[in-house]
Amino acid sequence: MDFENVKAQMRKGVLEFCILSILSKGDAYATDILNRLKESELIVVEGTLYPLLSRQKNAGLLSYRWEESTQGPPRKYYALTEQGKEVLVELEASWKGLIDAVESIINKHPNQ
Amino acid sequence: MKKTFSVNLGNRVYNIDDDAYMRLKDYLDRIEGYYSDQKEREDIINDIELRISELFSERLGLTRQVVTLADVNAVIGIMGDPREITGAGEEPQASHYTSGPRRLYRDPDDRMIGGVCGGLGAYLGLDVTIVRILLVLFLIFGIGFLVYLILWIVVPEARTTAQKLEMRGDTVNTSNIGNFFRDEFESVKKSFSRKKTK
Repeated sequence: MDFENVKAQMRKGVLEFCILSILSKGDAYATDILNRLKESELIVVEGTLYPLLSRQKNAGLLSYRWEESTQGPPRKYYALTEQGKEVLVELEASWKGLIDAVESIINKHPNQ
Repeated sequence: MKKTFSVNLGNRVYNIDDDAYMRLKDYLDRIEGYYSDQKEREDIINDIELRISELFSERLGLTRQVVTLADVNAVIGIMGDPREITGAGEEPQASHYTSGPRRLYRDPDDRMIGGVCGGLGAYLGLDVTIVRILLVLFLIFGIGFLVYLILWIVVPEARTTAQKLEMRGDTVNTSNIGNFFRDEFESVKKSFSRKKTK
């Protein structure tokens, strides 16, 4: 079995959740989001972020606006839409459910 | 001395060495190749170009003027391999046909007599040579000739591109037909250049 693929899939799901989570604390442009994801070592190469942002935007979870920058090119600021907020609430609930479920299985195994 | 290009990345202009330009263009083209949806492709490429632009302006600072190959390689290292970015396991060229149910046709492009073996091979996903060897074995044991004749009569020839795609189990849509013609064109080009070198 290809465990690299399992890990990648896991990380991808969590990443989408984390992007929404970061944006729920305030609008951010891609590099802000990247820096936070890199701090917590969730992302290894930066490029992986952009397809996720595009997907979430097309699914109606995110919107964006342009802002000029004093250093470098103009920045694309992403924000959560109402739908994005709803999805985030659902994801938070299912995340907590998942953690509990996985913990209970890990802790029970293999003594019972 | 090197030739430079000027490129617009995220609404900023950069001077870039020609070798660095080729490398960057190839990189962006490879990412683009993964996305068939135009809007999605533009979104992603624009975002990536924007980030590359930002990284270039950080790297150049106030003193340097030209983006070099070393800059491009460093930035590609930060952005990551197209396969990782797109989350795809393999290069898209390997499986650019979407598949559907196969249909049995005679293959006029892969024929020795009536194209029956070519069509059977495509239908069963076997190498034509194996099908031909099996047929010859059947011939030795007697019934093969009759089977071949019946198949030749019963099985229709794949005349149109759509039928040829069906024969290989590919769905008939415009993008597949486009891919099919591109492949056909490439193979014609290859056989032409082979003839020329002879």
